[in-house]
Amino acid sequence: MIFELLPGNLTHGLLLGGVYGLATMGLSLIFGVMNVVNVGHGQFIMVGAFVALTLFTALGLSPLFAIPAALVLGMALGFFLFYTVMRRLIKAPELASLLATFAIGILLEEVMKLIFGSDFRGYNWAVGKISLPITTIPMSKLYAFVGSIVIALFLYLWFSKTRLGTAVRAVVEDSEGAKVCGVNVGWIFALSFAIGIGLTVMSGVLLTMFIPVGINPYMGGIYTLKAFVIAVLGGLTSPYGAFFAGLIFGLVENGAYVLFAQIPGVAPFPLTVSFAFWILFFLLLVKPTGLLGSK
Amino acid sequence: MKRKAFIWIIGFVAFLGILFSTNALGASNVVIGHPACISGKYAKAGEQAIGGIKAVVDWVNNMYGGILVGGKRIPLKYKYYDAESKKEGVTSLIERLITVDKVNVVFSAYSSGLTLAGAPVAERYNMLYMDHGGASDRIFQQGFQYIVQTIGPGSKYHIGTLNMFDHFDPQARRVALAYEDSEFARMTMQGAEKHARQLGYNVIFKRTYPKGVTDLTPLLSDMKVRKPDIVLGGGHYEDGQLLTRQMADLDINVKGLSLVASVTLPAYYDSLGGHIAEGVMGPSHWEYGVTYSPEGAMKVGLDWIGPTQDEFVNLFKKAVGKDLVPEYHAAEAGAQVLAYVKAAENINSLDPSKVRAALGKLKFMSFYGGWEIDDTGMQIGHTMVDMQWQHGGKRVIVWPLEAATGKLVYPKPNF
Repeated sequence: MIFELLPGNLTHGLLLGGVYGLATMGLSLIFGVMNVVNVGHGQFIMVGAFVALTLFTALGLSPLFAIPAALVLGMALGFFLFYTVMRRLIKAPELASLLATFAIGILLEEVMKLIFGSDFRGYNWAVGKISLPITTIPMSKLYAFVGSIVIALFLYLWFSKTRLGTAVRAVVEDSEGAKVCGVNVGWIFALSFAIGIGLTVMSGVLLTMFIPVGINPYMGGIYTLKAFVIAVLGGLTSPYGAFFAGLIFGLVENGAYVLFAQIPGVAPFPLTVSFAFWILFFLLLVKPTGLLGSK
Repeated sequence: MKRKAFIWIIGFVAFLGILFSTNALGASNVVIGHPACISGKYAKAGEQAIGGIKAVVDWVNNMYGGILVGGKRIPLKYKYYDAESKKEGVTSLIERLITVDKVNVVFSAYSSGLTLAGAPVAERYNMLYMDHGGASDRIFQQGFQYIVQTIGPGSKYHIGTLNMFDHFDPQARRVALAYEDSEFARMTMQGAEKHARQLGYNVIFKRTYPKGVTDLTPLLSDMKVRKPDIVLGGGHYEDGQLLTRQMADLDINVKGLSLVASVTLPAYYDSLGGHIAEGVMGPSHWEYGVTYSPEGAMKVGLDWIGPTQDEFVNLFKKAVGKDLVPEYHAAEAGAQVLAYVKAAENINSLDPSKVRAALGKLKFMSFYGGWEIDDTGMQIGHTMVDMQWQHGGKRVIVWPLEAATGKLVYPKPNF
């Protein structure tokens, strides 16, 4: 049984992990640059899910078109929230920004409920499946995974090869130092927040390509929790670390189930969820800064 | 002079007592209190329950004339707050409804967990607590005195479903159970497993998944290799959609698939793009098309009270302000209002203890079907139906045969 299930589950885990990774990069970026913990992270993912749903059901557009649309909408939302709320809280006690993002999350939920109602919605983007000897994989999952890799790669190139990306990295390292060197730190804060939110909203689209049902104004909470675990695993301030941690999280979530299912009398699924936290616990014991985090 | 003043004071205090005592027969309204789920994960069921209660309150006040107690017809008033689908919201709001709003009866919030959380609070105040959303049998095993159920017990949900499969295909014997690790689903599946074994089914797979799960692939891959004929499961809403969707993704085709709660909502069919949902079924407490009527009640020797099915549907649409067909969450909440009215009238009192005692002796039929409780307050008079999604989005009652509005599609078409 174990050899029958493990390869298939690991394949699904890897695919999902890529999307988890991308979904966490925005959280890490915002924390890295602004030292703000976005407690409303999952609610921005929810917004992305509704972008995909609306474009598909109202206009018949493929979720692939929803990806750039979600990025633009997310960045616009990010700029708006930065200049109306977050800018005033950068130098405030951390609890203030924590509460502000929590409130933004609740506000987003209620606004979306007002617009879309509280039904659990979904869409059916039928683009076929691949039947492998080890498992069956819907093409939409493959597209979501490839999309995540491409976006993460693009972000890596932007950070490492452009002046603006370098400025963001400089602010992550030392905002005071960057300011002395002439970097417009205020603009970098705004841009990073907008990119972080844009990435998060965009990842909501990719998540619906993986799981196109259960779209609801209150769906975000569970993704906030997962994103926090993945972000800490990856090193909190490192978007790349978050991406790799997402892959590991996906593999662990799917792979551990098979192992626990072999133990008689044990409910493997709940154990699998706690296992991810055990991994995090032991990793932090060995490397408190996370996978790719630095001191 | 002093004596006169004393009499005036006593008289004034007595007047205030009568004025502010909602239990008094001179009450201007009979108030139903409800910690409703307007927001949060149960907002959909909450919207239905509020609509159902408002519809029947409307019927009682405007068509029936109010509750007849102490020779007077007293109108009903419905007071509700948003518990945000959270236990702490339910417990604090029940306290508020009883102590501040002075309600006559408290209706539970949706779900077994929330109903169970509120029961000790109602019990502390000797307040009648009517349960239209908590199906777990465990609620009635705690020794609570004031709780009364209208929704049927969780352990009975899949009894009819299994009887139906046994009737149509005695050869299909391999049953898999995949369900949410929640109070309600655990109770439902315990009942299903017990009944399956009694019918001689082979339960080849039994696994739970946690609440809020976002990916069931590992569990479903495990289930796929066991090759079940029939899959029973689910829990609430999003997980039912997820389970079906991912069974389709993994090409897990079975002869019968029945899920609790989620399947009965129109959003289930829509969210799955239609055809994936076709052939899937679910147990339901009430479906539009059931044939309960005053004539039917008379035939089985039960009193009838309340609107007819079509009247209820129209009142529900008026209550929610949109063209929405009520589901069983609305019907059971509405029927609960009728049970309260009937019991209060039978005992000629609004005292919660007396109404509770009267509910214990009550038997009646309404648009929702039969109503009767056992000594613990658990519903035993209501029978469930099984509905199936069929081609073109048709909702068909397929079991029991005497209530069926169409033929069962079996085996379930492949995804």
